Amino acid sequence: MSSAASIEIDHVSKIFPGRGGAQDFKALDNATFTVDAGEFVCILGPSGCGKSTLLNILSGLDDQYEGVASIHGQPVGRHGVKGSRIAYIFQEPRLMPWRTVRSNIEFALLASGFAPSEWKERIDRCLALVELADFGDFYPLQLSGGMQQRASIARAFAIEPDVLLMDEPFSALDELTARRLRQQLLTIWSTFRSTVLFVTHNAFEATFLSDRILMMTKGPGGRFCDEVKLDGLTRPRSYEDVRVFEASKKVVERLVSHVGSLDEE
Amino acid sequence: MSLQQVTAPGIGPSIGSPAPVDVGLRKWIGARSSDHLIKVLSVLTLISLWYLLSAVLPSSVMPAPHVVAEVLWKQMVGGEIWNHVAISLTRIVLAFTLAMSVAILLGFAMGLSRTAESFFDVWVVCGITMPSLVLILTIFMVVGLNEKAAIVGAALPVVAILSINIWEGIKGIDQKLIEMAKAYHAGQFRIIKSVVAPQIAPILLASSRFGLGLIWKMVLFVELLGRSDGIGYKIEFYYQMFNMGEVLAHALLFLFVMLFIEIVLLGMLEKRLFKWRPAKRRL
Ligand SMILES: Nc1ncnc2c1ncn2[C@@H]1O[C@H](COP(=O)(O)OP(=O)(O)OP(=O)(O)O)[C@@H](O)[C@H]1O
Ligand SMILES: [Mg+2]
Repeated sequence: MSSAASIEIDHVSKIFPGRGGAQDFKALDNATFTVDAGEFVCILGPSGCGKSTLLNILSGLDDQYEGVASIHGQPVGRHGVKGSRIAYIFQEPRLMPWRTVRSNIEFALLASGFAPSEWKERIDRCLALVELADFGDFYPLQLSGGMQQRASIARAFAIEPDVLLMDEPFSALDELTARRLRQQLLTIWSTFRSTVLFVTHNAFEATFLSDRILMMTKGPGGRFCDEVKLDGLTRPRSYEDVRVFEASKKVVERLVSHVGSLDEE
Repeated sequence: MSLQQVTAPGIGPSIGSPAPVDVGLRKWIGARSSDHLIKVLSVLTLISLWYLLSAVLPSSVMPAPHVVAEVLWKQMVGGEIWNHVAISLTRIVLAFTLAMSVAILLGFAMGLSRTAESFFDVWVVCGITMPSLVLILTIFMVVGLNEKAAIVGAALPVVAILSINIWEGIKGIDQKLIEMAKAYHAGQFRIIKSVVAPQIAPILLASSRFGLGLIWKMVLFVELLGRSDGIGYKIEFYYQMFNMGEVLAHALLFLFVMLFIEIVLLGMLEKRLFKWRPAKRRL
């Protein structure tokens, strides 16, 4: 993998204008960082610090901001970035309930311009990766929350993204399910090697998953305040590994020193 | 007329478990047939109550069910009644089309634009408060006692409530799915076709069922007030003659026709469209 920057955030600020005389709200203050190609980076910060705001900007959903956000050297926009495929996994599965799992993935494939002849093979492969091989013809409402989230992960990987944005995708799940999905995510990622920007407020999750953690301060006006490199933790990682646990304890300490207390979490 | 009931359409299609195990299937059939049994009992009770009433009241006021059935049978064989059914149905179709078109226009405008929402808000509130009778009589006064007035008069009283229905539905469209589609860089056309339209279809279908149920009663009412044909007119005519057997026979026949359209035709369409929705759970 080349170490060329895949994601570049350069002095990005976001202000939500106040409605009807209310004060403007600064959600993101002067964010600057880069993510290398193939790197797995977690953004760790308390609720409301502007994490989702940042991902919305990177995905092109929000184009009202200051500064420069670019992917592979090209500024992001509503119609994506030429020559790069970006996938977004949300906090909720966001599957269309009137389409089967398979057909939901087909929607993403169609939008990303894949030829229909490739669809079946791609979908089958990605469903197998998230252990949903037998559930392609099910409707989302026939699946559990965890299965739905897995389906949305399959949808993201089906378009073979260069850049994968993930917004607390496991925070609505119980810890055991979340653990399995994290493990699966790392396995899939190790074959695809997409650049991943993963947002979370869970320090252990960030430590377990990423190559590097970027910490944010409390909102309003969340800023990036610290960075933790986790090169020392070799992959594949396991939950039983004491080193992961020790490292996550250190991460929590660092976070607390920046944020104050973690009472809110 | 609760809005809630309308935006979440009536008969929930059931998919049960997707790969029904034998036991589950048998249970399901069991539940089904006991459901049917209750329905049959309910109808039988209704007929018994009618018998009871006809025994207490003079037969000129409340004829027994079998008497009405006999009258109805004669009418159905005689054929004349079918002309009136056809006339009323034509009016229903026209009034329904008119009411739905206006309501869709208003509902979409209000659901999509803040300005339209605050502008039409007052109109709609006035519209649902105004008694239908006042609206219909006003239309007859202004337009005259003619066919046009009958159609408009039947349509107008339901436009407001239908608009609210569609407006609520449009506001309930899932923005998060639209965001998802945008994040995957689907084009505007594809978003409308694949993400927005499938959410609007159930709204329109539910509103149609609801609207049809209101419109056909309005049409009978309008016919009774100012037309000289149609089922509503025939009911009024026999009422004046004090012939309750004919009144009830006409009303019953039309009720059956409309129930058939509402439940069988629209219900089947709904089942087809919403096979993705899981079986409704009881509270
Ligand atoms: N559309 C909006 N209009 C006004 N303010 C907004 C809007 N969206 C977000 N905000 C504000 O911006 C701040 C950051 O929101 P954001 O959703 O990015 O937080 P977050 O870091 O993702 O939090 P969480 O971990 O709870 O998801 C919040 O305080 C929120 O109130
Ligand atoms: Mg968020």
